Amino acid sequence: MKFRCERADLEKVLGTAGRAVTTRGGALPVLAGIHLELAGDQLQATGTDLDLTITVTAVVGGEEDGTAVLPSKLANDIVRAVPPGKIEVTIEGDEAHISAARSEFSLRVIPADEFPRMAEPPESAVQLDGAAFRDALKQVVKAASSDDSRPILTGVLMAAEGDGLRLVSTDSYRLSVRDLPGTSVLTGDESVLVPSRSLSELSKVLDGDDALTLRLGERDAAFESGDVRVSTRLIEGDFPNYRGLIPDSQPNKLVVNRAELLEAVRRVRLLAQEATPVRMMMKSGGLELVAVTQDVGQAHEAIDATYDGEELTVAFNPEYLLDGLEVTSGDEISLETVDALKPAVLRSSDNPDFLYLLMPVRVS
Amino acid sequence: MNKRDLPSILHVDMDAFYVSVELLDRPELRGKPVIVGGAGARGVVAAASYAARSYGVHSAMPSTRARRLCPDAVFLHGNHARYAEVSKRVMAIFGRYTPEIEPLSLDEAFLDVAGTIRRVGPPAVIAREIRDAVYAEENLYCSVGAATTKFLSKLASEAAKPLVTRQGPKPGLGVKVVEPGTELDFLHPLPVKALWGVGKVTLEKLQRIGVESVADLAALPVETVMASVGKASGRHLHELAHARDPRSVVSNAATKSVSHEETFAHDLFERTALDRELVRMSDAVGSRLRSGGIAGRTVAIKVRFGDFTTITRSITVPTAIDSGSEILRLSKTLLDQVDVGAGVRLLGVGVQSLTEDTTRQLTLGLDTQPAERRTDADAAIDSIRARFGADAIGPAVLATADGLRPKQQGDQQWGPDETGLNE
Repeated sequence: MKFRCERADLEKVLGTAGRAVTTRGGALPVLAGIHLELAGDQLQATGTDLDLTITVTAVVGGEEDGTAVLPSKLANDIVRAVPPGKIEVTIEGDEAHISAARSEFSLRVIPADEFPRMAEPPESAVQLDGAAFRDALKQVVKAASSDDSRPILTGVLMAAEGDGLRLVSTDSYRLSVRDLPGTSVLTGDESVLVPSRSLSELSKVLDGDDALTLRLGERDAAFESGDVRVSTRLIEGDFPNYRGLIPDSQPNKLVVNRAELLEAVRRVRLLAQEATPVRMMMKSGGLELVAVTQDVGQAHEAIDATYDGEELTVAFNPEYLLDGLEVTSGDEISLETVDALKPAVLRSSDNPDFLYLLMPVRVS
Repeated sequence: MNKRDLPSILHVDMDAFYVSVELLDRPELRGKPVIVGGAGARGVVAAASYAARSYGVHSAMPSTRARRLCPDAVFLHGNHARYAEVSKRVMAIFGRYTPEIEPLSLDEAFLDVAGTIRRVGPPAVIAREIRDAVYAEENLYCSVGAATTKFLSKLASEAAKPLVTRQGPKPGLGVKVVEPGTELDFLHPLPVKALWGVGKVTLEKLQRIGVESVADLAALPVETVMASVGKASGRHLHELAHARDPRSVVSNAATKSVSHEETFAHDLFERTALDRELVRMSDAVGSRLRSGGIAGRTVAIKVRFGDFTTITRSITVPTAIDSGSEILRLSKTLLDQVDVGAGVRLLGVGVQSLTEDTTRQLTLGLDTQPAERRTDADAAIDSIRARFGADAIGPAVLATADGLRPKQQGDQQWGPDETGLNE
């Protein structure tokens, strides 16, 4: 195999495919590599951890067809480090040569026949609005669980909702719900559970406003955008019934500038150490934030806000609160509460498509 | 550092505590070699009477070795609940002298008696009185060390212990006071392994640079010691060698972790068998956490393989937990990361990062994880156990034809019996 291309192009190809490469030293050494396949001027690079697979195609100056598996981290580091301009990759036997300007690298390749054979992506395809879908993903992936002992909660639910698509995630401490009205991917009571790690990587490799093609199969799904395909295993099992958790109406409603609250929570959080919560004291005059860490100190901040309801203090894990504030859109948000022990609902004042529900911290 | 001008930190250490308590109930064994511990093939010695120690038996020794050294020894199974009950009364005697008590285990404690001197007399008198009171009321001997620092008083109580000789035990001093100003005279002739924190590995490192006695260590520049045994440990040991120990007696020291572990009669290879043990231990740890009104954010497991290699794995969660099922879920996840194919000799489950703080991140009532219902169930389990005993209710997987086998503290601690209920 031999090809030539711009360094920047190869950097993007290897960097994107490398995102799926497992960082943990797994049982299969070949999974630490990126699979390259050259046919004519078409270069295809694939990285996988068996759950998530990212494939990137690019047009290069091909000289000799072939396949090879390069160690992902090293190849990426080399290509990033060499000066901009032309770069040439040659595979001879079990050695790869990378040359650019006056730099020469040769490295041992990983036997290509050990690389797992990838299943063909499912045939049925639906078009999605890439930009809207990427925004939606950013809103929901954080609330998914990273606790592998609860596999169901490490997934994001994609389900039909009316004539649109709904994305739902929860780690049992908070719940994100995002609607994409008019996006019909699934119908009736169809739903799939997609690993949040796959979606998180997808949101990072999606390019701007590119159209997105979704191919849904029984056990896996593939997202295609431009030159990139992200394939993922689906999680089997039933997502918990989340609907009952979202209250119809709540008696107390706080309306506040999102950026101001976000900045204030970030400041006050400095004194919410060792898993202590930030307390939100809500009354008609406005909002006060308080954090106290025993033997360390305390922080206090007052914020203008309108509040309609009983005077109430609710404590939250500041990280969970910030996650919600960061992904809610618009200048103004509302926080609706029942009491200090019931879930609070965070929404944008001018966009009803996203909801972030979070459980308070009970303080003695 | 609060400098003391009187040796008002006492270390009280019961003499052969477990064995001595057993002898109270079985006076016919008095003077004979008695060993408390696991009598089975894989048991260890928890405590040995002074007569048994004359044969070279000591605690933590494999029981098989002890039996070879002392074939006539009487092995007793041990009764943790009974020791705990006696310990409580002994600690209560200490409590008459000072509220500043830091128990280290059932049979030893530090006492700060600085506030007692005006009422009772100098530390030597207080030490003697405590020792006499424990003997008068419980018929048990203890050894007391008195010094200006904790670690010196512990060394002093060691120096006050009965002597073990080939001809049998000889009474010791009972009370040893290290007078202020004489600390280094007492400390420096001691072998360096007497210092806290000097185990086998550190001892070898120190011997490599020619250190045998505490005096040798004190004579070296601190940098040399740090280069030999590591920075933190080196500085610490060097401080100790100069009799500097700033730690004060901390009464009611907060529990650092709650755990259970068990050595099996035969190595376990099957994940189902190990899971059953996890159920028992998680259930017991949860019960103890709740009865202590504490919860923790870190769950840890300990696995010892047939060849004695031991590993630990832990996981920290965002909110403190005290429920057996939650501990079980996390400990199973941890065990998933361990290859048990080599056979497991010992398994342990513990909860750390404990807090009495009732601050809790609340959880959504998801149907995969009915948090509230579980809390109710835990409360019901606790109240049934409080009324009818620990074996009245437990996880169904622990049910056998003979009833339930919930884990209790001290249960099988020193290795299984010959009959081996754990098969």
